[in-house]
Amino acid sequence: MEITLQNLTKIFQSKREDEVVAVDNLDIVIPSGKLFGLLGPSGCGKSTTLFMISGLLKPTSGKIYFGNEDVTPVPPEDRGIGLVFQNYALYPHMTVKQNIMFPLENIKMDKREGLKKAQEIADLVGIGHLMNRKPAQLSGGQQQRVAIARALVKSPRVLLLDEPLSNLDARLRLQTREEIRRIQRETGITTIFVTHDQEEAMSISDEIVVLDEGVTQQVGKPQRVYDKPNNLFVAKFLGTPPINIFDGRIEDGKIMIGDVAIGKSDAEDQEVTVGIRPEGFKIVERSSFQVEVEFVETIGRDTTLIIRHPDVEVQESFEDPEQEENTEEEQAAFAQEVAEELGEEVDDTKMAGIDIPQQSVQQAKTFRAIVDADYGVEPGDTVKFTVKPHKMHVFNKETGELV
Amino acid sequence: MEEAVYGNEKQIKRKQRIRLAIVYALVVFFAIFIIIPFYWMILTALKSYDQVFRSPPLLWVSPANWQFANFSAALEQAPFLRYTVNTVVVAVISTLGTIITTVLSAFAFARLNFKGRDVLFMILIATMMIPGEIFVITNFLTVVRFGWIREQTYLDAILAMTVPFMTSVFYMFFLRQAFKQVPDELYYAAKVDGKTDFQYLWRIMVPVALPTITTITILNAMNTWNAYIWPRLVSQQVRFQLVSNGLRDAFDDTAGVIMYHEQMAAALIVTVPLIIVFIMLKKYIMRGVSRSGIKG
Amino acid sequence: MLEEQQNIKSWFYLAPALILLSIFIFYPIFNAIFLVFVKDFNYLQGTHDGFTLTENFRYVLRDPNFSMAMLNTMLITFVSVPLSVIIALLISVWLNAIPVKKIQGFFQTVFFLPYVTNAIAIGMAFAFLFNQYYGLINWFLGLLGISPINWVGMGASWGRAMFSLLVYITWLGLAFKIMVFLSGLQGIDKQYYEAARVDSASRSRVFKRITVPLLSPMIMYITVTSFIGAFKAYTEVIGMFGERLGPAGDDRSMITIVALVYDALDRSGVPGALSEAAAAALILFAVTLVFTFVNLQVSKKRVHY
Repeated sequence: MEITLQNLTKIFQSKREDEVVAVDNLDIVIPSGKLFGLLGPSGCGKSTTLFMISGLLKPTSGKIYFGNEDVTPVPPEDRGIGLVFQNYALYPHMTVKQNIMFPLENIKMDKREGLKKAQEIADLVGIGHLMNRKPAQLSGGQQQRVAIARALVKSPRVLLLDEPLSNLDARLRLQTREEIRRIQRETGITTIFVTHDQEEAMSISDEIVVLDEGVTQQVGKPQRVYDKPNNLFVAKFLGTPPINIFDGRIEDGKIMIGDVAIGKSDAEDQEVTVGIRPEGFKIVERSSFQVEVEFVETIGRDTTLIIRHPDVEVQESFEDPEQEENTEEEQAAFAQEVAEELGEEVDDTKMAGIDIPQQSVQQAKTFRAIVDADYGVEPGDTVKFTVKPHKMHVFNKETGELV
Repeated sequence: MEEAVYGNEKQIKRKQRIRLAIVYALVVFFAIFIIIPFYWMILTALKSYDQVFRSPPLLWVSPANWQFANFSAALEQAPFLRYTVNTVVVAVISTLGTIITTVLSAFAFARLNFKGRDVLFMILIATMMIPGEIFVITNFLTVVRFGWIREQTYLDAILAMTVPFMTSVFYMFFLRQAFKQVPDELYYAAKVDGKTDFQYLWRIMVPVALPTITTITILNAMNTWNAYIWPRLVSQQVRFQLVSNGLRDAFDDTAGVIMYHEQMAAALIVTVPLIIVFIMLKKYIMRGVSRSGIKG
Repeated sequence: MLEEQQNIKSWFYLAPALILLSIFIFYPIFNAIFLVFVKDFNYLQGTHDGFTLTENFRYVLRDPNFSMAMLNTMLITFVSVPLSVIIALLISVWLNAIPVKKIQGFFQTVFFLPYVTNAIAIGMAFAFLFNQYYGLINWFLGLLGISPINWVGMGASWGRAMFSLLVYITWLGLAFKIMVFLSGLQGIDKQYYEAARVDSASRSRVFKRITVPLLSPMIMYITVTSFIGAFKAYTEVIGMFGERLGPAGDDRSMITIVALVYDALDRSGVPGALSEAAAAALILFAVTLVFTFVNLQVSKKRVHY
């Protein structure tokens, strides 16, 4: 089922009569049978969009199509959707079986057939053995699966997931997102999910849309959006550790940071913002881009250098708000775990959990570069860099658009 | 989601509007059912003798003809102001007593550790099941033995009406719940600062539990205002009575025809203070009720 | 808890409450048990004529007023409690469905008014509402072509007087229940309703399968406490009929079990009267216990906590 959002707009009327535009003229086509991520910081309108697709919220203007059918006026119960709420909204007084059966009873399905169907779905999501438990007797991950089973049991045209992983701890998150991916593949249902966690969205989505303040920033395959960000917002939002931002300018076809030319550009001379991915630096023998290393973070496969630079912008953090609430102890414990796994293949995105040093050094106007561990760089060393052109993005200083 | 609007086809909207109209109609119908006795009380209190005894009854009396004299006539029937003073005195004393005893004991149950604490608490909770009448019989004998009944002075009457009600297992339970919500860390912090338990109770627990204490105060005062049985039993002189007793005694129809307009005027005098208190303190009363409801 | 036991200090905090409770709660319990098992107790002299196992109970049970009191009490309980619980539940659901908060608040206040009313004062108002000639009820029935009925006046039948009393008691019981239900309803997570909508549940199914089960702890609490309260009905009768406990000419026809207790107390000077009061009170307690037990058994099956 292909889903088309056409000029979709939602305006909330707040108490003091001022209007808040939550979703602004959204035009998106969500391809059939794919896992589609709605991604953005909190308050960007992604959940509002999801609830409009579900029918629980009525758009102020614009249309929603399921295939060729205009479902904008159709109430949620008639849209043929399955919705998984952020905190699951499992009925606490019903058993797992009763929860999953509830939608079937509402459409008056034959009881025996319904039971068979419920069991099939429960087995599919891996909770078939828990049918007689109450939600309170289940772990967070199991509740999540029950919620998915309840949403899937009536064979919806579309599956909607609101922040499906946000109530799970770090380990369960990795496991569950793979599970969601698997279930989506097996059922082939067009699935839309909302998240503020870019890593989560990128790792499982077929396609993502990045939203900010209700406006589409970019749509596309995750890798493509990462490699070719349309604007500064997208560049900053995707990637861990985040992209390094420098004040720079274009002079005679050269991209300059301070006095150093780090690349070429066809654009005319102007003040620009330069973004360089941490993995975009290459240590070389000779270069005028010469800096002193302040800290070194070793994670085995590669090394992160933390370098002080006067032209680095202090970056705002897009981290998961729940993660920020974590105590330092928890974060340190997680860092410890990761450290213990050293030597194994450690995905650098996993390092997202360790954001203590990152934040503290950001405030000290530093940037980070990920280089091969073989260089054996020590704090205090002076290194020379060149910048990989495809890892560097140049944005207009005022608009933030790609130059 | 703050604004869940479901569907927007005209038909659905119409259905929704009809449903809402039905809801309003039912709510208004039952609201009228609730309001009628109050309206009837107020209306009758403002009618003249002739208007009261008219059949069919008048449903409205124009303000120009309102008989405010009924109120003074009612006050002549019985010393309602005196009853009101008595009631306020009893309410204040019993509420103060209740709060002191329940705060202290609830603190012990919530915060201190002593032998037999849980057993004692269970026993106290169990007594809540027992109908008050079982206590009343003996309590009456007890206050007689305390010398508060025979040759009763005003002080005796007040003591007899307040002392048996200076504590309450229910409020104790209620306060203990509130105290339990104060995190233990605050207690340890106070200990580290060298505060005594009593200082901690007074400076930290009581302010934190103030909403609950307010609720208890209001509920207890309301109970006193409505108390009928016990005051009737122990007040030996008409002038020691509380409002409910005074009201009933003044207008018992064993004497013959009831002057309904005066009776309703007196009833209104007794009812209005409570309603004013309710409207002013609605928030606290509702919180108390809903909390007691949820905790069961 | 971290600290060691603080026995002495604890008992100091408990002392005021415990002393009062001992005198006015614990001692009376034991004394009531003593009273029902002694013959011809005379409290003025503190003397009695030996012990008896059943005489006081038999005396109460033989009292012609007792069967009347039992019948009235049961009727009040089993009519007014279910009726007011169901009406209160419906009203609170409707109230909760009012979308405009200010209007909802206004009706809330209206529905809560009976909670803060003096039962005597409003009982008098009800008696006058039901007055045969000057009351509003008969005026209204007159509009429907029904000739005036003698509800509560001189010579009114037991059935009519009881009907009027039941209307009053049901009315009086609504407010508290509505308050508790409404706060319960407002505590239910809206997501359950959104989830049910997405699951295509009809309104009646949402009410039956979601609202009522989620509210069941409160419904249970209200039912249990209302039963206990209704068994103790007395002040309401006084409010409507005065100390005569019935329409003029049919004194004590609205008598309740608690009224029996106070009747006996009023004769406290007569030897043995207090024992009868104690026996009546213990019978009331036994009845309350049985029904509370039944209620709790039902709740085990039906209530979701």
